[in-house]
Amino acid sequence: MADIELSHVDKVYEGAEAPAVRDLSLKIADGEFMVLVGPSGCGKTTALRMVAGLEDITEGELRIGGRVVNDVPPQGRNISFVFQNYALFPHMTVYDNMAFGLKLAKVDKATRDKRVRETARMLGLDEYLNRKPRALSGGQRQRVAMGRAIVREPQAYLMDEPLSNLDAKLRVSMRAELARLQRDLNVTTIYVTHDQTEAMTMGDRIAIIRRGQLQQAGAPTELFYKPKNLFVAEFIGSPSINLVESSLRADGDSLYADVAGQPLLIDPEALSERPALRGYAGKRLIIGIRPQDFEVGVAGTRRRGCQVEAKVELVEALGTETNVHFCVNAPPVITDEVLELAADLGKDEATRVERKARAGRNEFIARVDPKTQVRNGDTITLAVDTAQMHFFDPETGQAIR
Amino acid sequence: MTSVAAPAGGAQGKQARSRSSTIIYVSTGTVLSILFLLPLVWAVLRSFMQPSDITAAPSARAFGHLTVANYSGLITGSIHILRYVGNSVLVAGGTAVLTAVLATLAGYGLGRTRFRFRGSNVVFALILVTLMVPFQAILTPLFLELSFLHLLDNWLGLILFYSTFNLPFGVFVMRNSFMAAPSELEEAAYCEGAKVLTTLRTVLLPLVMPGVATTMLYAFLFAWTEFLGALTFITSINRLTLPVALLNVETGTFGQVNYGFLIAGAVIAMVPCAVLYVALQRFYVTGITAGGVKG
Repeated sequence: MADIELSHVDKVYEGAEAPAVRDLSLKIADGEFMVLVGPSGCGKTTALRMVAGLEDITEGELRIGGRVVNDVPPQGRNISFVFQNYALFPHMTVYDNMAFGLKLAKVDKATRDKRVRETARMLGLDEYLNRKPRALSGGQRQRVAMGRAIVREPQAYLMDEPLSNLDAKLRVSMRAELARLQRDLNVTTIYVTHDQTEAMTMGDRIAIIRRGQLQQAGAPTELFYKPKNLFVAEFIGSPSINLVESSLRADGDSLYADVAGQPLLIDPEALSERPALRGYAGKRLIIGIRPQDFEVGVAGTRRRGCQVEAKVELVEALGTETNVHFCVNAPPVITDEVLELAADLGKDEATRVERKARAGRNEFIARVDPKTQVRNGDTITLAVDTAQMHFFDPETGQAIR
Repeated sequence: MTSVAAPAGGAQGKQARSRSSTIIYVSTGTVLSILFLLPLVWAVLRSFMQPSDITAAPSARAFGHLTVANYSGLITGSIHILRYVGNSVLVAGGTAVLTAVLATLAGYGLGRTRFRFRGSNVVFALILVTLMVPFQAILTPLFLELSFLHLLDNWLGLILFYSTFNLPFGVFVMRNSFMAAPSELEEAAYCEGAKVLTTLRTVLLPLVMPGVATTMLYAFLFAWTEFLGALTFITSINRLTLPVALLNVETGTFGQVNYGFLIAGAVIAMVPCAVLYVALQRFYVTGITAGGVKG
């Protein structure tokens, strides 16, 4: 086991205009589960492959366990790599797949056998040891890939979207299993995914990467509650954060944000945490409100001036929660970040965002108590937890702090 | 074949069409098979006839007097056919192995993006260009070269000569086979601690086996049937390969032309090729298509 440290790492592919990874500095502590997340093509897999030694490092330094390994081939790094398509050796049995690395490391036969069988038992693979990969289901193949990684007791696990080839239900159960396994074994892990739910549920820490650059690294809750920029705010959380363009108005010591014609009093505590906000009085900025920071009705807790009127367009009752869709009377916020993330979700989402932009409709989603009886077409009053609002500079996309 | 059948509507028509297309398919296949197999069958039959019957017009009587005398004469007589079979097996086998080894290594180097170098495509194109050179055209320089290397009248010289002319095709097949193998497997092996050659041997080789089989079969058949080179480069009678030895039977180096011996010798020469082809046919076909799809 070992810590991994990337300092100012660049990767430039020959003939490419922009570097695939730019000035990436990240320290992964011994035993930590670090998730690299970002839209496809953002450089997260490239970063992982550089740690594995499968890609050369153009600039910067990589240390594993304190040792600079820039020029050490993958064979010499003592890491395990779990591939998206598992990369099991098709002509070998499960047993031979798992024993492959041990055999090369010249571990004696008795020890090898013991370790393969122990690992297989741990993963529930004992019955399948003599099968070839093609005779296994997707979930079993995934386990074999994990087993091959675990059995060697390497310094670190590097995983490249290992769950993305599984169906949705299996993915959820494997997610929990994998996270638990990592905690039990306590081996440093770098895990690449483009699924923010996977990132949030599995990682000790998450590093969000966009266009080859680290946006923010931190614990899941830190990224959720204190996103450094619009991209992180938009990326983390499901349903995603509601964005609206707004202007700030000072009234004595208080600041009001104009949300689609309705003034919202900014929580004084939030204001004192963000001194830079006062400088935006009279200027435009982007406000972000998470769906769960809405509440139906005005009952008790909320102060005056923290409510919005909304005409309900769609109610999604999911049982544990209810998502209320409503339109606000303001143009939608279409930034590079929004477009990029929509494009990453697929063509449908990209065209949906484009259509919204053309129609000038800004659709909000509020996640409310499922016990509230809200129906389509109702006009309701939603209270906003202004202490949890996010503020971004419309030019730079950076959070205003 | 279905396009030959007239189009018809409805389930009945469909059935009728499939039946008529089956008939056309089977009958065409039968006619073609007869066309190709008849000379072979004829040769095999005649190899069991007495010499006097072979040269005579075909008659029912000749089939009543079948004999293995031609074969026993070839094997036990002064011709020592088994010696030449042995020579040919050695030369063709050596060619197949050498070609497969070199083509695999070259294909690995040219087929994996990992080993790409500036101009690797040019190198590959140059290798393919040699496919276009008929070896008969450079027989004299080759003769001089082998003479310089003291490899004339030497099986090694012959093997090198055959391998040289089989390598372009072999490299082509192997390069495509390696290109079709997923790079993750190679990378997984690296991460597990395998060096380049270990990875090639333990992980990639089983995946490109169809390509290797194709290359070996192709090289073996080429060397087994090749005549002009063997005639030019081998001078001692004891070292001749089967095709040249059979020519000696025909031209009467050992006396008058013995058609019984000649035909029996041809059948003997045919058998290993047929056996090998049938045994490796599955590989052979996948090897060629694997190359075709990804090429």
